[in-house]
Amino acid sequence: MASSLLNTALSVAAKDLRIEWRTKTAFASSIVFAVLVLAIFYFSRDTTVVSELDIAPSALWVTFTFASMLGLNRAFLLEQENRAIDAILITDVPRTGVFLGKVLGNLAFVAVVELITLPLFALFFNVPILRPLPALLAVTAMATLAFVTVGTLLSAMVVRTRFAELMLPVLLLPFLVPPVIGAVQITAGLLAYRPLSDFSGWLRLLASFDIAFVAACLLLFDATVEE
Amino acid sequence: MNERVPQISTTIRLSVRGLNRRFGYRRVIRNLTLDVEAGSVLVLIGHNGAGKTTLIRLLAGLLKPTSGTVTREGSFGLVAHDSMFYDSLTAKENLRFFGNLVGSAESSRIEELLLVTGLTEHAERRVEAFSRGMVQRLTMARALLHDPELLLLDEPMTGLDDAATTTVQRLLADLASRNRSIVLATHHLPEVVHLATEVGFLVSGEMKALEPIGGRDSRALMDRYRELVQNG
Repeated sequence: MASSLLNTALSVAAKDLRIEWRTKTAFASSIVFAVLVLAIFYFSRDTTVVSELDIAPSALWVTFTFASMLGLNRAFLLEQENRAIDAILITDVPRTGVFLGKVLGNLAFVAVVELITLPLFALFFNVPILRPLPALLAVTAMATLAFVTVGTLLSAMVVRTRFAELMLPVLLLPFLVPPVIGAVQITAGLLAYRPLSDFSGWLRLLASFDIAFVAACLLLFDATVEE
Repeated sequence: MNERVPQISTTIRLSVRGLNRRFGYRRVIRNLTLDVEAGSVLVLIGHNGAGKTTLIRLLAGLLKPTSGTVTREGSFGLVAHDSMFYDSLTAKENLRFFGNLVGSAESSRIEELLLVTGLTEHAERRVEAFSRGMVQRLTMARALLHDPELLLLDEPMTGLDDAATTTVQRLLADLASRNRSIVLATHHLPEVVHLATEVGFLVSGEMKALEPIGGRDSRALMDRYRELVQNG
């Protein structure tokens, strides 16, 4: 059972990444979007009123969140194109494995987008990210896990609706608020060279959301893909 | 939920009891009961909207019955109305992915199926570049990856040229000769009638009659269908 779960998850993730690598549809859109958002944040602020460090954390997380959403949207759209998901669902593979595969594929996609966005962010806002980089990456990973997991589930839910691409952000954003607020708070502190230990409360919140979202989504996915 | 699940004898591959399916207030499948034995080829005849596609999806477990039961014995494959492929992947990549899921992704098996469906030369081409007929043959290959005991097909001859039709007919005949069971929904009777052992006449979601083919040709079967429609 465990090997079947893992095999399914890896097969689904590898397939999704192969398709994305070949088409680069979501990737190109996400990167262009990320650059645009960073540029808008950079050029729209009044440097005499708002310092770079004040606006940088919010700009970073708005960029991460919305750029990633473009990829999440596509996660189940490609299953729906020729109803390929049906050919998966008629097999005996554990559906949890299908969901985990989708989450893994999305995590890999979002991680690449974030890794490309991060140096651009440092360039635009002239903020020092090298020293707090390990902690910043850890916080990013925690927040990303939360919104990718719930985003993947919602993507499966909305894909059969008429306005799937509009519905996903509408449904996802309320779930994102707590983890993203936590991530912004911690990022602001880290960029000001405060130690990670100062944010144990926010870190606990992020961890709680990770656990709750992953557990809830694993339980709900089966019902989501049922007719 | 309280309905008894029928006991399946070893020769029955598919057993359907009191199957009903509604979409909203519309009853699409009405109180349908049938058994499919090992080695039998059941052809379901019905006009557009008779409920053929819904029935195949119910038999495959892609739709839940409103009431009634569908019990399958052993593995099954499905050739549905949609291709169920990823257009950006090649034929071979698609087969390997689905083969992985059904535990049958050996290269030799994939090569063999590409050969029998006449797609060896196109194995490395993306599915998006395939014609309708090629996609349909690839769909057959995918359905046969794990050599299923039961094959469900929804209009498998749609969009096929003569050569491709012959290929699919040959594959189906081979399956039937190996004691596999086939349920095939179509309104292209002439291409499949010679394979059939039984015929089910589906009218407005109701199985009006389920009869042995009895040597009848497609014209005789269509006459019988019209008779059943007229008799209501």
